[in-house]
Amino acid sequence: MTTSLAVVHQCIHCALPVPPGRSGDFCCAGCEIVHDAIDEYGLAKFYSLREDARPAKTTDRAYTELDDPTFQRLHVTTDEAGQAHAALYLEELRCTACLWLVESTPRCVAGVTDIRVDIGRSRADISWDPARTSLAAIARHLDRIGHASHPYRGLDRDAQRRREDRTLLVKLGVAGAAVGNLMLLAIALYAGWFEGMTAADTAFFRWASLAVALPALGYAATPMFKTALGALRARRLHLDLPLSIGILAGLVWGTVNVVRGSGEIYFDSLAMLVFLLLVARWIVLRHQRRAARAAELLLALTPSRARRVVGVAGGDRVEDVPVEAIGEGDRVEVRAGETIPVDGMISRGSSTIDSGLLTGESRPVDVGVGEQVHAGTVNLTAPLIIVATRIGAQTRVGALVTQIEALSTRKAPIERLVDRIAGRFVAVVTVAATLTFIAWSIFASPLVGAEHAMSLLIVTCPCALALATPLAVTVALGRAARRGILIKGADALERLATPGTMFVDKTGTLTQGTLAVTSWHGDIDARALAAAVEAGSAHPIARAIAAYTIPTDTARSIREELGHGIAGVVAGRRVVVGAPAWVRSRCKTRGDVEGWIADVTRAAETPVAVAVDGVIVAIAGLSDPLRPDARSALLQLRDLGWRVEVLSGDDPRVVTAIGEQLGLTANRCSGGVPPERKLAIVQNERKQRPVAMVGDGVNDAAAIAAATCGIAVSGAAEAAIEAADVYLREPSIGAIAATAAGATATLATIRRSLKLSLAYNLIAGSLAIAGVIHPLIAALLMPASSLTVLVSSLRSRAFGGRR
Amino acid sequence: MTALYVVLPLALLIAGAAVAAFAWTVRSGQLDDVDTPPRRILIDD
Repeated sequence: MTTSLAVVHQCIHCALPVPPGRSGDFCCAGCEIVHDAIDEYGLAKFYSLREDARPAKTTDRAYTELDDPTFQRLHVTTDEAGQAHAALYLEELRCTACLWLVESTPRCVAGVTDIRVDIGRSRADISWDPARTSLAAIARHLDRIGHASHPYRGLDRDAQRRREDRTLLVKLGVAGAAVGNLMLLAIALYAGWFEGMTAADTAFFRWASLAVALPALGYAATPMFKTALGALRARRLHLDLPLSIGILAGLVWGTVNVVRGSGEIYFDSLAMLVFLLLVARWIVLRHQRRAARAAELLLALTPSRARRVVGVAGGDRVEDVPVEAIGEGDRVEVRAGETIPVDGMISRGSSTIDSGLLTGESRPVDVGVGEQVHAGTVNLTAPLIIVATRIGAQTRVGALVTQIEALSTRKAPIERLVDRIAGRFVAVVTVAATLTFIAWSIFASPLVGAEHAMSLLIVTCPCALALATPLAVTVALGRAARRGILIKGADALERLATPGTMFVDKTGTLTQGTLAVTSWHGDIDARALAAAVEAGSAHPIARAIAAYTIPTDTARSIREELGHGIAGVVAGRRVVVGAPAWVRSRCKTRGDVEGWIADVTRAAETPVAVAVDGVIVAIAGLSDPLRPDARSALLQLRDLGWRVEVLSGDDPRVVTAIGEQLGLTANRCSGGVPPERKLAIVQNERKQRPVAMVGDGVNDAAAIAAATCGIAVSGAAEAAIEAADVYLREPSIGAIAATAAGATATLATIRRSLKLSLAYNLIAGSLAIAGVIHPLIAALLMPASSLTVLVSSLRSRAFGGRR
Repeated sequence: MTALYVVLPLALLIAGAAVAAFAWTVRSGQLDDVDTPPRRILIDD
């Protein structure tokens, strides 16, 4: 063990401090392996390219399943030239440096001809010469440079999505080109209207406009028409209905007017409308794709290989197969330390299972014959034989993935409100158009009546209304995701914007989550001695004491007694550090020690005694210190209208102490609350006002689900994440406050946009009814209203505002 | 103004060609991934 602890080392690979007691220049074995691999292949340029340094992850797997014939048949294609092609999901694919490192593979592994990375999809498309190398060898190389690989399973769905994306993008391009050209033609027509133009020229421009508008818009607007038709068939209200009516009315009436050679045309405004609607759709689609990919990556983390047990003459034979080859009822062997590949029932053996991925429960569970185990959980101690009951997407992990995807397309109440507005909109506009037609038919002529009624239908087409919600929500969710806040759907965002009572379950969201020395009673010089003794230990208390001060000497002959304490010799002095009772039993005590212990206990700190040469000289108080941003975050939440209460299963004294430091009165801090009471309290509170519940444990899942808005924090159980509406990667109250503030800002943006767009429709509609609207006014008003909504959404201050 | 009768259809034809070219880039997959290429260009080997 090295002793240069006074100097804080930085890990060469990830720049994190090297933990005291670890030798060398690396913070962990992963960083060391990856750094060596990078060095060996002469890829040190990686370090000058990367934007942020992170600890490396490497798994040391053999990846033999990738060379299995079944896997090859399913996932590998071979072209005429004998080149093999496959796609892999790569973990930790984040920046330009990762991209460069992975794409340098052909220079490091002989036989790899090409490797193309798609950062957004965390995907690498690999081509190689099967005669010279194998996919497993390539995967091993990628693993060594810090990118664990998984088979890319969603190829079919990916191809389907890609087709949809491409179609929409082509439509967007067509609509864009139509807008540009129709606007140029329209400018000529408007100029002619002001300056005078021969009838023949005017007709020519109008026919040209028709020639562009009819095919372009007829093609580009099909997504709107399809949704509107679907909604009509299902007798539902949908915003696309008034939109389609507007677009169709514009196209039909425009065509009629061009053919008969008089009357107004609105093709330029219509094209702009279709273009903006498609832009909104494209933004929303991109957001949904990102959510779906995140979910699929989770599925990719379950193992891709399984050991199938086949009964043959004279006993069982075990064969290594890809998980796709496993069928229902197959027996699968899972050795100790392996991740279980399928959901199933144990038919032989008993072991301990870590179901952290699914339940968040860090304590392993004992399992035996007849019990259910799930894909994604880890078999810890002994080999098991499992009869597969569910495979792939049918497993619990698979179901979770499907659910996350479904949630990302779920509609928020405000979106349903928009659909309701759309319904009324159709009614009002139809009645208004009919009345306009009748009135103008009586006072002028039916032709004038039709003219004004049609222009009313066209100019009131609620384009801005359609843009308002998806734009604001998508912008907000995207920004939140970049900050590690995953919000499941727009409805969660909306519920977060209605303040009520917020129950914080986990004291860990208020505190830093690690023990630290927060008070020291007695001999100050004993700090360095205690730190020296604790320097080599991994125990949380030892870490806290070691971090409290810089040891000046090295400890020798260290003896650690689990659960009690540690003893050693530092600079010739015998030092004992540990639980007061244990230290007292082997050392003499001093008069003021009892008083110190009482002080420490009263402050809800954990006392640790330090004895030097057989006499207790100091008592350290250890506790979990508050997060630096906790107080300001609570103030922010209060300003937003939230009433924050701590509702925790932790020791009541600890909870009260934390509450005191934060200025929360005792009646708003309840400790030692069992899960059933939590649920009852949440349900009771919900009768009066909206409730947000922040938690992480399996036992909180019920309370989280019962709350108006459940928030799960990092490290939470799958059940809790599933039940929650919001998942925070960073478990701090600051992130919660930021989420609530962002949600409020987003809802304000949406309401502002809705008002703007309705105001516009009122003005344009009145002008049309009065018969004073002109295509030029419509051409200015319509895009103006949509652009206002667009700018107002993008400029929203929600979740940190502009990038 | 008679020039317009030739120039305008020509302009629309060119616009049509541009749209066709765009549709080709999309269908051939050049716009499937818009995140990675801008990073790749930063690396000079």
